[in-house]
Amino acid sequence: MAEFEKEVAVLVQRVVRDISNAFKKNPNIDEIGIIPCPEPRYNRSPIVLIETKLGLESWCVKFLLPSLHRKLLLYRQRKNYLDREALVDVTVTLLLLNPDFTTAWNIRKELLQCGLLNPEKDLYLGKLALTRFPKSPETWIHRRWVILQFLQQCCAQKGCRKEQCEGYLCHTEAMGSSQNLCTHQAKLLHQEMSVCSEAAGRYPSNYNAWSHRIWVLQHIAKDNVEVFLEEFSSMRRWVSMHVSDHSGFHYRQFLLQALLTELCKAPHMSTAGTTLYQQGTTTTSPSARLTETRAAFGLDPSGTERQLGGGTIAQLFDLEMEFCSELIHSYPGHEALWCHRRQVVFLWHKWRRDHPHFPCNTNEGNGLHLSISKDNGQAFSSVEGSINGLPCGDAMEVDGPPDPCNAKQLKGGPLMSGSLALTAEHSFVSILLDDCGHSEQRRFALAYRKWLGNISRQ
Amino acid sequence: QGTQIKDVVIKDDAPNALILDKHADYIAAYGSKKDDYEYTVSEYLRMSGIYWGLTVMDLMSQLPRMNCEEITEFIKSCQHECGGISASIGHDPHLLYTLSAVQILSLYDNVQALDVDKVVEYIKALQQEDGSFAGDKWGEIDTRFSFCAVATLALLGKLDAIDVDKAVEFVLSCMNFDGGFGCRPGSESHAGQIYCCTGFLSLTGQLHRLNADLLGWWLCERQLPSGGLNGRPEKLPDVCYSWWVLASLKIIGRIHWIDKAKLRAFILACQDEETGGFADRPGDMVSPCGTAVRPSRVSRCCDLQLQRNVNQSPANSGRRHNFKQPPQLSRKFEQSVASSLTDVDQLPSALLRVYVQAILAFM
Repeated sequence: MAEFEKEVAVLVQRVVRDISNAFKKNPNIDEIGIIPCPEPRYNRSPIVLIETKLGLESWCVKFLLPSLHRKLLLYRQRKNYLDREALVDVTVTLLLLNPDFTTAWNIRKELLQCGLLNPEKDLYLGKLALTRFPKSPETWIHRRWVILQFLQQCCAQKGCRKEQCEGYLCHTEAMGSSQNLCTHQAKLLHQEMSVCSEAAGRYPSNYNAWSHRIWVLQHIAKDNVEVFLEEFSSMRRWVSMHVSDHSGFHYRQFLLQALLTELCKAPHMSTAGTTLYQQGTTTTSPSARLTETRAAFGLDPSGTERQLGGGTIAQLFDLEMEFCSELIHSYPGHEALWCHRRQVVFLWHKWRRDHPHFPCNTNEGNGLHLSISKDNGQAFSSVEGSINGLPCGDAMEVDGPPDPCNAKQLKGGPLMSGSLALTAEHSFVSILLDDCGHSEQRRFALAYRKWLGNISRQ
Repeated sequence: QGTQIKDVVIKDDAPNALILDKHADYIAAYGSKKDDYEYTVSEYLRMSGIYWGLTVMDLMSQLPRMNCEEITEFIKSCQHECGGISASIGHDPHLLYTLSAVQILSLYDNVQALDVDKVVEYIKALQQEDGSFAGDKWGEIDTRFSFCAVATLALLGKLDAIDVDKAVEFVLSCMNFDGGFGCRPGSESHAGQIYCCTGFLSLTGQLHRLNADLLGWWLCERQLPSGGLNGRPEKLPDVCYSWWVLASLKIIGRIHWIDKAKLRAFILACQDEETGGFADRPGDMVSPCGTAVRPSRVSRCCDLQLQRNVNQSPANSGRRHNFKQPPQLSRKFEQSVASSLTDVDQLPSALLRVYVQAILAFM
């Protein structure tokens, strides 16, 4: 027995060392995994490093994990001593195998607080753990803690004023176009978005990944409309390709709601589009921001001279409804799409109720014509032809004789008032049901109709 | 064209009767099994695992089979200087396990085994400016922790130790347009979070502040053609949502909105007739996108469907006796949360989920 334990101890030591060496050898490891292998083969290390992929042969896990686990808990109870290096190595191996081991993350937090660990290294470890366990709640929780530390540090270095640090947002005049975030924050934001995207791709409707993404926006890009617009724009393509991902659609709804709030914040909105994004941004020129807004919402970015007002809000809703209709027709029987429809209609209904005197028809009054491109200006149209069978039509000029189908968008359309919108929705369902043999689609359409009846009573 | 619906098909030969004795043996046996590896990977949630297992045994009137003294000693050794309780010895304290520990000791009428004042101080210190609760000293915020805080304090009769009004405001700020709740403001609705938030509002006497019809609607839409419940739209049914969804519906008085017979059949079909215990879901899976369904850390759970004459407490929220809080709160607690499983006329059977993975050892 003692002999066996000794052997295990030697094995564990070797594996931990090999993992540590693998990271030294290739600091760009981007994925970890377990290689099914019930018995040890030859006399070689169970660690396999191929280019940027790190694999661990399965046979050793049952020795490795309990042994390291015990070691760390004994340390935690002050029953044995581990130096900094040993602690780092042991927690790395443990967390790559069992990332919900909260206490191991906490030990790393303590090392970080003492300056014995680099926060970037820890974000990297979490990212790797998520390649194998994309939902792991503790990994996401630790990430948020590290980010807050990082932001505080970044603010301190930049010598930000206190009130800015509280929101973890640094406005630095010098950064110019780069979304009013300092370089560190812009980089961090970009990194977090890509970690979330990867985890969302690995596990459908990944609650923890998407709620982390929302948190990141709320903490790093608070009040930064450009970031929200960029996200809204790129999400259009993502949800088109993941039509059953309810979490992805929820995120889009979150963005829509946030942007709506921003649009409503601007004073004298119906007459002065250029004051739209006074909040939070000072470096980008108003007209440039307007261009971005238009592009993100699927409007022709060149139409910058046009006014954004209540009519535009109506238009934005209209475009979102049209997008949703396209998806529902192209991919029948997806509950997530019907849920999205409910949210958009609800938001519109609520907005109309909260802003009864908001002018919706400025376009009509001024005789303005907006150029509308059906697909998204930037991210979406960069893909040629179609995405997943979804048509991406060419930009549609509606300046000429009005097309009856698009005229409604120009003049505020069926969404002009709450009750009219609901009527249009009822007819959408009726037309769809007339010609629908898809049982699930029918079920969702009928449930939606029932829901419409309910909302109109609210 | 056409999409395969994300659901399961229940086979004709699936179990259709409750094999209660097998389940009891199954859980009792878990206490003695100490596979090194399995034990290790789930130790971070041991305290909750013990609670789930004991509650099932209690509901089956089998609690005496478990070693009360050993468990009590274990819990005492998990209380830390700060007052918080950890999942196991040597782990760090957290609100999640503080609630589980208090729940276990409530089962045994023995919360005094803990330093109760310190538990209260621990929880109190975790409340934030905006009324929310951090799960531990590292500061993560989640509506689950709001629930843990008030449920623990309610069991200890100390709900007045925190700023309840602010706590309520925070939870309400996490309500979504669909009537549901997420983990933080702006987050997606999720059946597990909804349970925590409705439980929270029930304990704090604020159920009138949610839109019961709207929420009930969303919850009922979790039922799939197989009878099983999922936790969010377009997710597969999982037997653990029988608890989260049903308990929430019960709390808001809309339990009759779902098809009980179908759900019952689904749950029974999840049983393992040979070993006892329940699987996530029965039968062949219609896999929509070819993605293997990887069991999450807690999704390998089992449910026990209990007999009609069960007259016991709910699984996750409280206990029938020993409420030392003011009578009004106590009654509310009883009525709205505890009664979710005691009102047997409305509910043909009480449901309880137990995470198999977590009940590895009762020390």
